[in-house]
Amino acid sequence: MFVLGVIYENCTGCHLCELACSYKHGGTFNPLLSRITILTKPEVQTSVQVYCLQCNDAACERVCPVDAIKRDKSGAYVIDYSRCIGCRECAYACPFGAISFDFKARPIKCDLCGGEPECVDVCPHDAIIFGPEEKVSRELKRAKATGVAYGIYGGAESPYRRKKAEEAENFLREIWKRNEGLEL
Amino acid sequence: MSALSEGESEILFIDLSRGKAVKQPVKPEDTKLYLGGRGFNSKTLFEMLNGPIDPLSVENIIALGNGAFAGTALPMTSRLHISTISPLSGILGDGNAGGEFSAMMRYAGYDGIVILGRAERPSYVWIEDEEVEIRDASELWGMKSGELVDTLRDEHGDDVSVAGIGPAGEHLVRFATTMVDKYHAGARGSGAVWATKNLKAIAIRGTKGVEPADPETFYKLSREDLEYFKKSEFVRRIYSVIGTHYGMMSWYPGWKYFQSHLGPDDLPEGLRPRDFAEFEVGRTQCYSCPLACKDVYYLPKSGEYGTSSEFESIYALGSNNGITDTEAILRMEHLADEYGMDVITLGDTIAMARFLHEKGLISDKELDGVSLEWGDAEGQIELVKMTAYRRGFGNKLAEGYRNFAKLVGKEVLAYSYDVKGLNRGWYEVDFMNGIFTLAHATSTRGADHLRGRSWAYWENDVNMDPEAVKRMLEAGLPDYRKDPVGALIEAERACTLADSLGRCKGSINMWFQAVPLVWKYPVFKGTAMLLKAFTGMEFTEKDVVEATDRIYLTEMAINVRQGIRKKHYDVKFPPELAKTERFRRQVKRHWEMVDEYLERRGCDVETAYPKREALERLGIGKVADAIDGKDFPEWDGPPLWPLESYPGGE
Ligand code: SF4
Ligand code: SF4
Ligand code: SF4
Repeated sequence: MFVLGVIYENCTGCHLCELACSYKHGGTFNPLLSRITILTKPEVQTSVQVYCLQCNDAACERVCPVDAIKRDKSGAYVIDYSRCIGCRECAYACPFGAISFDFKARPIKCDLCGGEPECVDVCPHDAIIFGPEEKVSRELKRAKATGVAYGIYGGAESPYRRKKAEEAENFLREIWKRNEGLEL
Repeated sequence: MSALSEGESEILFIDLSRGKAVKQPVKPEDTKLYLGGRGFNSKTLFEMLNGPIDPLSVENIIALGNGAFAGTALPMTSRLHISTISPLSGILGDGNAGGEFSAMMRYAGYDGIVILGRAERPSYVWIEDEEVEIRDASELWGMKSGELVDTLRDEHGDDVSVAGIGPAGEHLVRFATTMVDKYHAGARGSGAVWATKNLKAIAIRGTKGVEPADPETFYKLSREDLEYFKKSEFVRRIYSVIGTHYGMMSWYPGWKYFQSHLGPDDLPEGLRPRDFAEFEVGRTQCYSCPLACKDVYYLPKSGEYGTSSEFESIYALGSNNGITDTEAILRMEHLADEYGMDVITLGDTIAMARFLHEKGLISDKELDGVSLEWGDAEGQIELVKMTAYRRGFGNKLAEGYRNFAKLVGKEVLAYSYDVKGLNRGWYEVDFMNGIFTLAHATSTRGADHLRGRSWAYWENDVNMDPEAVKRMLEAGLPDYRKDPVGALIEAERACTLADSLGRCKGSINMWFQAVPLVWKYPVFKGTAMLLKAFTGMEFTEKDVVEATDRIYLTEMAINVRQGIRKKHYDVKFPPELAKTERFRRQVKRHWEMVDEYLERRGCDVETAYPKREALERLGIGKVADAIDGKDFPEWDGPPLWPLESYPGGE
């Protein structure tokens, strides 16, 4: 099965995913209508993506009094608005605060864009990943392992980042070489 | 619904003297003529001011403009443009800052905020969609940038954006900045203007979002532009890793007040990108930007976190003062953010003071015990604080660069390498075929690298994508090697455009960033396509070019009223060199280039006034009415106040 994973350490808080999501679900750019929300405190480098994790045993599905929430074939729990009575019980039940309200106080939630998540597509920093379980879990481990080396908790020197910067310096020199004799 | 069609978005005028807010719809024709952002601001400044004015007087106004594409998914469109008459230079003072304010303005329904008058007591403004409230800020006065934002977020919610000032603004430091969301600084000197209005901050939340006239086309084009950056190796391996520290390797930072310049192989330990990376704990950026150009750093000695230690801060506060202590430079950069001061003017003014002191032009007696030894990092941290609060010698430094030189003595002015009061170091005219010196002379806010200079020779673009530069040249982009004046004018258009669209010109200055889709639809065709999709109005490449020219000539007219004349398009060299034959010849060449520039811009070659026929051709003949045949008192910087009359001034 395909799952959607987030790597907090990679998220820089650019909000592009929110704009992509609200566009995809209504043709407008409005973070409040996005199914993904970025809570961000850039000064301590924490940006957290809040959104539906498509639980195996989903509280929203269970509490819905009119059975308006069903899992579709992409694995997403989708709200059937023709049944939904707008009680918002699903939002209150969600342990992650992943269900928002739109301006008509209706619940809105991530539907995995029918299997092609737009946020995954736009994210410039691979902070949201989508794919088969084993691939996502591997990616996650790799990212976390580097995350520790990153010194994300502050205070410690960051040998990993120093190395990356050194590589950047060297790559720039490479570009200069490459551009020598460039005819424009 | 299009945010830019009539009635959908407004300009908000806040009159602090009367305690009133008035709204005016943005007219579609204004968008067509001035685009937004810097364009709207300059138009407003021209129409509402009757120069010449003292920038620190109550007549001055502050215009905030978010740019045509604010709040959309077109990447890098979150720059808030801030314009005023600058207390540092006495002419147009504008610039832009990142953060989330500009998107919030758009979501709240405003494309401009204009602040006039003076509140009776310290105030701040709280805006939530239609609701605008002027509130008491006596508790906020005195707060630094970080605390200010935290306090207002506690009050109004953690998703509000805040623009405001720190202690440097309150003390009327002439290069105090407007600070957005703690770390994003804009328009040197504007911070002092907020204070003269008794205004500490504006906090804003918008809920409405924005919808292009043709969402599908607009989104498709935006995604194309985004993918271009995401795929670039240059971006992934350099830009997003070291951000503007790239400049330490590429832009020859000044050493000890521009007495020499450091090439990539001369960089001392402490000033290399890798040295700064050691303090980095993460990366961040402005709203809707994929580049992560900004570092987030942690300072073990003081236990502080800071953000965006850019090239400018490293060279101005560091190398130009002979300082190579990485952590100390980061600390000063962070303090400048906290106090709300421009790092370039701050660092370069201190560097000039060291230089003058070494030459014996500033005596030890004047220093009140302050040390001006090159490389004294701890001493400089103290100086930064003293400047923000105008204490002791800091009171003089707070007057800023050229004004500081003037205070020291008339003969010292020769060492102030400024044009129209702003400084960007000195260069030979022969360097890069004259575009550096010409760009500094023609910038409408005084010597500057962000008005066209770096775009005129596409240095950084070549490092990212030389093929695209070829396509741009084929499409008619003038080549500085053959036509430097033409190349600069086109570059000035690009910068004016970016500032008016709300687009970042690139913390690594590039065409690809400033002008959306230029890599694919050169030169301004991509912009025209986006404007059409967004507004639903017809837009051609010619419309785009004319809008930028309209804005530029309007800004020249603002400066004419502040007393700018032809002679102020000058070039400066260290006085010892200026006397030599080699430099005399270069001065001559400079003035020839200025003449050609003025001619091609549609200005009078004798006076540098924009000509009526040029203005009429652009449909703004009324600008000519305000300046034609009029004489304004000659510019000599802003009027300086007696030092003891500033708040806190000693
Ligand atoms: S708001 Fe709609 S979907 Fe959610 S629990 Fe109520 S009826 Fe079900
Ligand atoms: S697009 Fe990616 S990096 Fe940007 S806010 Fe969303 S998750 Fe974070
Ligand atoms: S490049 Fe840097 S300064 Fe420009 S928008 Fe992106 S984050 Fe902001």
